[in-house]
Amino acid sequence: MSTSVTSGEPGTSSVEPSRPGGGTASRRLAGSPALRVIGRRVLIAIPVLWGVTFLTFIVLNALPGDAATALLGANATPAEIRAETIKLHLNESIWVRYWNWLVGLLHGNLGTSLYYNQPVTSILGQRIPVTLELVVYALVITFVVSVPLAIFSARRPRGVVDRASMVFSMASLSVAPYVLALLLILVFAVNLQWFPALAQGTGGDIRDLTLPAITLAIPLIGFYVRFLRADLLEQMSEDYTVTALAKGLSRWKVLSRHALRNSFIGLVTVIGLNLATLIGATVIVEQIFGLSGIGWELLRAINNRDVPLVEGIVLVFATIVVLVNLGTDLTYDVIDPRIRHGRSRS
Amino acid sequence: MRPKTNHRRRFILYAPAALATAAAVALAGCGSNSSAPSGGASGAPHQGGTLTVLEGASFAGAWPGLDPATDTDGAANQSYMNSIYGQLFELGTGGKITPDLATAYTFTNGGKTVVITLRKGVTFSDGTPFNAAAVLWNWNRDLAGTCTCKPVFLAKPVITQTGTYTVSLTLPYVNAPFINGIFDNIFNWIASPTAVQKMGEKAFALKPVGAGPFVVVSDAPSSQLVLARNPHYWEKGKPYLNKLIFKPVAADEPAYEAMLAGSGQVYEGMSTPQLVKTFQSHFTVTAEPSTSPYDIQLNTRAAPFNNIKAREAIYYATNAAQIDQKLFNNTYPVTQSFTAKAGLFYEPVVPGYIGYDLAKAKALVQQVGGINITLYTITSPVAEALDEALQTQWQAAGMHVTLKTFDLTGLIAVFQSHKWQAFLQTAGAYDPGTGVGVAFRFASYSPFTGVWDPKVDGMINAAASTIDNAQRTKDYADLNAYIAKMAYGPFLFPIAGYNIAAKGVAGPGLTTAIPTIVVLPGILWQDVYTSNG
Repeated sequence: MSTSVTSGEPGTSSVEPSRPGGGTASRRLAGSPALRVIGRRVLIAIPVLWGVTFLTFIVLNALPGDAATALLGANATPAEIRAETIKLHLNESIWVRYWNWLVGLLHGNLGTSLYYNQPVTSILGQRIPVTLELVVYALVITFVVSVPLAIFSARRPRGVVDRASMVFSMASLSVAPYVLALLLILVFAVNLQWFPALAQGTGGDIRDLTLPAITLAIPLIGFYVRFLRADLLEQMSEDYTVTALAKGLSRWKVLSRHALRNSFIGLVTVIGLNLATLIGATVIVEQIFGLSGIGWELLRAINNRDVPLVEGIVLVFATIVVLVNLGTDLTYDVIDPRIRHGRSRS
Repeated sequence: MRPKTNHRRRFILYAPAALATAAAVALAGCGSNSSAPSGGASGAPHQGGTLTVLEGASFAGAWPGLDPATDTDGAANQSYMNSIYGQLFELGTGGKITPDLATAYTFTNGGKTVVITLRKGVTFSDGTPFNAAAVLWNWNRDLAGTCTCKPVFLAKPVITQTGTYTVSLTLPYVNAPFINGIFDNIFNWIASPTAVQKMGEKAFALKPVGAGPFVVVSDAPSSQLVLARNPHYWEKGKPYLNKLIFKPVAADEPAYEAMLAGSGQVYEGMSTPQLVKTFQSHFTVTAEPSTSPYDIQLNTRAAPFNNIKAREAIYYATNAAQIDQKLFNNTYPVTQSFTAKAGLFYEPVVPGYIGYDLAKAKALVQQVGGINITLYTITSPVAEALDEALQTQWQAAGMHVTLKTFDLTGLIAVFQSHKWQAFLQTAGAYDPGTGVGVAFRFASYSPFTGVWDPKVDGMINAAASTIDNAQRTKDYADLNAYIAKMAYGPFLFPIAGYNIAAKGVAGPGLTTAIPTIVVLPGILWQDVYTSNG
């Protein structure tokens, strides 16, 4: 059993047994570089999230029309619009309304959707799982396809696989998601009938999610394959890979065991940065495939000038992006011990 | 100075996407196993089957709740509401008003009172009776509410239950279009008073109870509405369908592919005329007769259209026939009046209407010292194409035209600002005296008018104040002639929405034509059937 010297009251000292994993562990934990990263990121996240919600509020208010107009429609008289404006507190200044929303948020209350007349949290609760499943599914497909394809491309630069992947990448990056979705529906829903063209229910059934996830994944695959291939080739010219090759390791082994690990750092960074784009693409893809996620809901909410719902969705999106970027930072530690040790020393 | 919205630039920007989309749609046409166009269901109607109905996301594909008293989406929700609540009266083929939950109406008291007789022996799907007390309760609730979906009266109506199955509505003036306009307001849908009181308004809006052909199984607002056959429906043997599922769809192209893939059997309100042939190659396409044409609203309170010569220049510079020919292959009949062929009081040729004459347009533009305007419209492919065509024609007459588009909310805000010059609009009603009829665009008391002329107000009110149809016809003809004389705004042509049905599916308003109510016809879902089981 280990012991530790702890200082007690002034003028006294005591020697007491430490609990296994107790004080030392908590000190270790407190000094953990990962925890410091998390702490720092959480602190940074607060102004980021605040800034996002604030800017969203400003932009929504700058759009022509407001929720009163949107809710009452074209038949409303100016008097009715005035009454609805007061009912929805839209007559109050933008600062008062934002402050009230912020206070509500701090109490865990995201407000009530002006269009649905339901709590925003309840709407988000129904819609977020669909979007999250879609995004995760798309990332899994992206990763599973792009990593092997990049390795094969880097194994024989300008070979058949490399050239084919180049063509695929260019095509996938050029095509708009809307068109890509229609083509996928045509092939896999209309002709082969493997998947439905429209989601059959309101949940996130895997069959309903497959085509939308592929639609989201294809442009990412195109980008990641080119990115990873280029990075792998760069790694292959580094001293450590040249040495490994000189020692007689096969190019395949050097690529997959040594170069790939280093290339992952860049890939993880890019995935983290691309997540916002991926989430943005759900707005279009969810519509085309009839998925009841928050992407499609965001568009409706903007059209209805449903500020509380837009704020709720934007806050969720921003939080996801912040969390993923934090996850990206923490992943560096796992992939590259040099970063971990560097943090430990700092 | 170059126009803000450059036609060529837009084409270059969108051409690749448009070509790829067209290719996808064309490929879809080649890839399907379906063959000749269907003529609807074969054989006699029979019971059974499920239909998935796709609703365009930009119009009917969003619904917050389905309580008539809070139905701010109005006629956009009519398919859901008609299925759940039924209707007091239905607008049927050829614009015939047919009884549904009501059996008759009569105007008494010189036209100031309308008495409605209700069908006996009907119950709401919760088992409570459908009668005059229920109608009275609903109408009073509608009028007490703040929803703009309620009917508009110039004075407070007196609603009275005159018997177990009769109810009357009395106004201090004659309201001739009351019955003709009941289809585009919430008076036509009667909710179960017991259910509303028991469930509370919020819960009721999510699982409403009516006396219509279907009952709500589940409702995920703006995502999916599942309805099942109402076993207690008053009309024996109906509805034919066992189940009806409504789902929103993003646009016409995804709807086409979804139908090819079997994810939907009906698509309401296809709005891209260029896709008609593509749909026709696999499905039954029914052009639903429009009740109102596109019109160009001119703000007569602001320059340059506070000058009649500038307004006349717009008339002379507008060649509606050419736009119809170039954009739609002469599909739609050009009109000079505020109603279309399927609406009441249609008048295609109006005496004194100013026709196309480029030379005169150019001369007038010079005479008023040039015309520099912004033309607004709603964000929609058809409206935007029309705007661009008008821009081209008007610029040929020497005007400088900038285009701007907004979503509906933005558009309303622009109207309210009163800082606009010209709007391309479409909205109308089966009877011009109702809802979004002629008053909506031309009466000074409408927030969406460009005209503030007491004479126009008087003519509009006069036409609605008599139940003599011959007199109303004359009044509206006079109004058309006066609008033409004052050059308050030219009319183009009505563009109908299309209803699409899969092979084996048929029904009134779906595979037969029924005049539109605002935008789409009210499909009689209790009569829709499928031979596919």
